[in-house]
Amino acid sequence: MLKRDQGVVLPTSVRVPGFRVELEGTVFRLEATGSWTVHEAANLDSALKRLQVPIPPTPDFTGEVDVSSIAELDTAGAWLLQRTADRWRTKGLATTFSGATRDFAILIEEVERRSEQERPQTKSEGGFSRFLVDASRTMSGVWQDARMLTAFLGAVTDTFGRIIMQPSRFRMLSFIHHVDHAGLRAVAIISLICLLIGAVVMQQAAVQLQAFGAEIFSVNMLGILALREVGVLLTAIMVAGRSASAFTAEIGSMKMREEIDAMRTLGIDPMETLVAPRILALIVALPLLTFIGDMMCLVGGGMMAIAYLGLDIATYVDVLHSVVDFRHFMAGMVKAPFAALIIGLVGCLEGLKVEGSADSLGFHVTSAVVKAIFLVIVFDAIFAMFLSAIGI
Amino acid sequence: MGKDLVQTAEKIISVRGLAKRFGSKQIWNDLNLDVQRGEILAVVGGSGQGKSVLLRVITGLVEPDAGSIQIFGRDVSKLSPEETVDMESRWGVLFQDGALFSSLTVLQNIQVPMREHLDLPQVIMDELAFLKLAMVGLRPEAAHNYPSELSGGMRKRAGLARALSLDPEIVFLDEPTAGLDPIGASEFDNLIRKLQQTLGLTVYMVTHDLDSIFTVCDRVAVLADQTVVRTGAPEELRKNPDHPWIRDYFCGERARAATA
Ligand SMILES: Nc1ncnc2c1ncn2[C@@H]1O[C@H](COP(=O)(O)OP(=O)(O)OP(=O)(O)O)[C@@H](O)[C@H]1O
Ligand SMILES: [Mg+2]
Repeated sequence: MLKRDQGVVLPTSVRVPGFRVELEGTVFRLEATGSWTVHEAANLDSALKRLQVPIPPTPDFTGEVDVSSIAELDTAGAWLLQRTADRWRTKGLATTFSGATRDFAILIEEVERRSEQERPQTKSEGGFSRFLVDASRTMSGVWQDARMLTAFLGAVTDTFGRIIMQPSRFRMLSFIHHVDHAGLRAVAIISLICLLIGAVVMQQAAVQLQAFGAEIFSVNMLGILALREVGVLLTAIMVAGRSASAFTAEIGSMKMREEIDAMRTLGIDPMETLVAPRILALIVALPLLTFIGDMMCLVGGGMMAIAYLGLDIATYVDVLHSVVDFRHFMAGMVKAPFAALIIGLVGCLEGLKVEGSADSLGFHVTSAVVKAIFLVIVFDAIFAMFLSAIGI
Repeated sequence: MGKDLVQTAEKIISVRGLAKRFGSKQIWNDLNLDVQRGEILAVVGGSGQGKSVLLRVITGLVEPDAGSIQIFGRDVSKLSPEETVDMESRWGVLFQDGALFSSLTVLQNIQVPMREHLDLPQVIMDELAFLKLAMVGLRPEAAHNYPSELSGGMRKRAGLARALSLDPEIVFLDEPTAGLDPIGASEFDNLIRKLQQTLGLTVYMVTHDLDSIFTVCDRVAVLADQTVVRTGAPEELRKNPDHPWIRDYFCGERARAATA
């Protein structure tokens, strides 16, 4: 902001901005007063819009923008004056500036020079065509995702192959770190959730089966459901929520700050250092967590059986023992490493897709969690059908 | 109107007795610094002397342990929250890497301060933003790019355009020419000088760049030994370096090249 007199504080009365137009001989004079700054720009703009552009009766009429009473001027004010002068000129009124101090003149001239530049046009599409574009983009996105995930699985397998050939390339420290973060630190929350869900399933089953006097079968139901489905599914969903998002955020923010590019130039393979330890850590941690989840489901169900059905511990364990088979346990456990692979792949891949902006990071973290949970459930459904078809 | 005008001091920023420590590390002690209205001041000093911290303290991002800071003749620690916001719209800061908001386009970045502090119609904001873009020497095509799609030099210019968004009276620049090629750096120097003349800016600039110091800066403040050891015109410091660090800095190999 430029002041007519540098180094002075203006009292408010002098700052109130305004202008008036008068005709003096053959000169239309716009006299601007007060403070023409960006803070006043909205008011000045609407007042100037209401101003009629004077129409010269004969060609020898001219225009003049008198800035000698302006106390403060900045780019916005200079631009408004400039715009008004331009409008007058297009009506055939040769318009000049007068009364500018040296500073004001420099600014007005600079603004005039700069505002002549061409603007790129942004094209906006109509609502329906935008909808179609979005829809087609989303659909091709699904296909793209499937392809990228498959390709990424191949790349990860290749990396594992290389690590097996040269075990010294395996990042033990990073692996242990991720087992700790994705596994050990999830124990408490997964135990709690499985305990509660086990209790709820038991209680609901008991209420329904009581009508037939078959409430003892609720133990069968809980035992089989917990071991085959609930334990592994709950654990996988929790891990997808915790770890897929963490992997995406970690790898994504490294990608944002060009750390991944830096690693590549230093001859460090990000697949080996970032992706492989994370996925392996999940493959080890998820089955262990699933086992804990299974047990906690049974404990929760047992607590409810004791409280609700009046069984004692020994009877509950006996009943469980007679219905639950090792194959039920295995049918649940065998899914865990695959779920881990899906979660790890999705989390790491989404992280690597992050681009420069904070928006992109948020978008990919969200989509990592959504995709991981979706794929885990789809995979679980397919597996359940397959296992029951072959009679396990 | 001369009668109702009140004469104020020429000092636009006045720092007295400032002290700051992080843990056991004293950054500076009893630091005094004045910035005159309309000048370009360079703050120089070795790495880790607390130049960036000083900039952050003056702009209110970090609390000092002791001392007072007056900007526009007002003690910044005694302002109400509304007054602070008002003050903040009277200066602009260019951070070292531009610190543009990555999820907004360049044009939207420039409009952020206008949106926050003013109630302007979108058309005017667009016009003003394009004007600012042109003033810092960016092509209008860059307006719809995201910061990650720009080069380092363009990001700096865009950051400067955002700092100038509200036509501030002071701009703070943290190493504006670091990371630019020599031609880009000298263009940036000229740009700062040009803007300072057109907009009547006061420029507070942290820099290591001897070329900028000798071409555009009016005064240099040297930060060493936990305080401002000297201030003066660049030529003056070069002719009469009475501090070992100033001697090394202004009379070294590079300084001779810059002034040759
Ligand atoms: N938030 C913080 N917490 C602890 N120490 C800090 C913090 N910020 C800065 N420091 C320390 O303060 C000192 C001064 O830092 P500052 O960034 O101001 O240096 P500088 O003079 O700008 O250096 P350079 O020229 O390298 O940018 C450094 O030693 C730094 O470690
Ligand atoms: Mg610094």
